[in-house]
Amino acid sequence: MPLPEYIKKDYKRTRTMKGSWYLTSYKYKFNLSRIKEYLKGLKNGILLGLKCRSCNTVSFPPRLICGRCLVKPDQWVRLPETASIATGSANYDEEDKKREHPFPVIAVRQDGADTALIHNISDDVDFNSIYIGMPLKVVWAKERNGLYLDIDHYEPIEDPAIELNKKEGSVD
Amino acid sequence: MDKVAIVGFYQVKPGLDLMMSPYEMLFEATRGALDHAGLKRDDLSTVIGCNNDYYDGKTISNCFKVEAGGAYMKDESKVEMDGAHAVMYGLMRILSGNHKLAMVYGISAPSCFPYESVRILETDPTFDRPINLLNGYTAGGMQMRAYLNAFGLSEEDIAKVAVYNLKNAAKNPLAIPEAQKTNITVDEVLNSEMLSAPLKKLMYPILCDGVTALILAPERQARKITDKPVWITGVGHFNDTYYLGDRDLSSCSSMEKAAEKAYKIAGINNPKSEINVAELFGHTACEDLILAEAAGLADKGKGLSLIDTGKLNPSGGTMAGYTPAANGLTRIVEAVKQIRGEAEGHQISGANKAIASGQVGFCAQNNIVYVLEGGE
Ligand SMILES: [Zn+2]
Repeated sequence: MPLPEYIKKDYKRTRTMKGSWYLTSYKYKFNLSRIKEYLKGLKNGILLGLKCRSCNTVSFPPRLICGRCLVKPDQWVRLPETASIATGSANYDEEDKKREHPFPVIAVRQDGADTALIHNISDDVDFNSIYIGMPLKVVWAKERNGLYLDIDHYEPIEDPAIELNKKEGSVD
Repeated sequence: MDKVAIVGFYQVKPGLDLMMSPYEMLFEATRGALDHAGLKRDDLSTVIGCNNDYYDGKTISNCFKVEAGGAYMKDESKVEMDGAHAVMYGLMRILSGNHKLAMVYGISAPSCFPYESVRILETDPTFDRPINLLNGYTAGGMQMRAYLNAFGLSEEDIAKVAVYNLKNAAKNPLAIPEAQKTNITVDEVLNSEMLSAPLKKLMYPILCDGVTALILAPERQARKITDKPVWITGVGHFNDTYYLGDRDLSSCSSMEKAAEKAYKIAGINNPKSEINVAELFGHTACEDLILAEAAGLADKGKGLSLIDTGKLNPSGGTMAGYTPAANGLTRIVEAVKQIRGEAEGHQISGANKAIASGQVGFCAQNNIVYVLEGGE
């Protein structure tokens, strides 16, 4: 039997009782001095990963702690500007007005690093064209300030594997 | 491990927007579990809840649940992960010898809070939030792409799992009506709205209000309370690294380790042949396969074969209704029903050894697995 309408209303009222929780007032502490080298590198257009001397894992962006060994990695290693897609998806969130939808969302693994990060890819890349292993290159921000977003986004570069296939294909 | 049994349980029928406050939902579940076991509230010695301050919009959210949770003047505590983790807490209290009967519940009402937005608060404020692209949908999409790519599978394969889940849900009286789809087809799943390529809407569960409760008892009490005790014969719990970029998303290491440990405690050498039912908490149809493979029920990349056996998520799994904080508990209760032969329309005949799992974190960062058995 359907419940009388007034009951529904009563429940709605209790549900919408006033009260707010200002989530934006939260602050998150992060010890920038521990990644000073990395940030200085970014400012100068140099990519630095952090290597754990115990397990040789290279993290990029640097992880302050190696969970495997429970130590603070302290060996900076220079990484090339090239990278590849570790996995990817697409963003369909219409409320996100930054770009036309859908657009690709990618996890990027910098060459020489063992970890990946979620980052942006060039606006003109179709979400259907991305694939795991797709080679990319860093595109720097117009002005570098020694901040994480000094890497503005990644852009695709020629994939030697695909070029090879094309050449082989043209033989027949 | 000393024997501890599940002796009573109750799942409130979930709904997109239940005509009950969470307080009343919880009462229905705890009262229901006590009545099911034929126990009085006074018989309980400890109460462990699972809920989340962000979901509730109240800090120390368990303090509002004392009365309805059955915890008035009891030893009471809370887990803020999944209901399956609360079972571990209850189990440990009983195994310590200090407690007899433990009430365990998990509850949330997503009709009252923006679940997917709350999940954004799970992301790393330093590295993920400035990019603002990681959320429940994109994590599921990236995981699915990694899985398909690693094993040369297609979107159609995952659509088959979704069809299987939704048809199973149609046989489950406690599934939400919106998930009960007897005539769903693979094409319908493939043509449903895109959430985050290649993840489609019908491969993703529907959020709903829900609460599940169960009662744990040590061996001596369990035998007095019920002639159908279901024993927890093994448990394993592991946590993987937080960052998605540090993990291979095509498999699930924490699930592998958790299942391995649970099997070892339970003395299970060949899960493929010994386990007849698996109720696993996967966050997407794709993750159901990844977890089932990690639990050793099928070879890697071959999880799809499980839908022919019918032993994976006969209830429809979370696709039958996704109730944050109660999901893992519901999986356990479903496995218990199977072993007791009380699963009504979705009963697997002869089920006597089951696994059930719970999880938290993007792409199942943390997994907990139980081996459940009937008989003596
Ligand atoms: Zn290390």
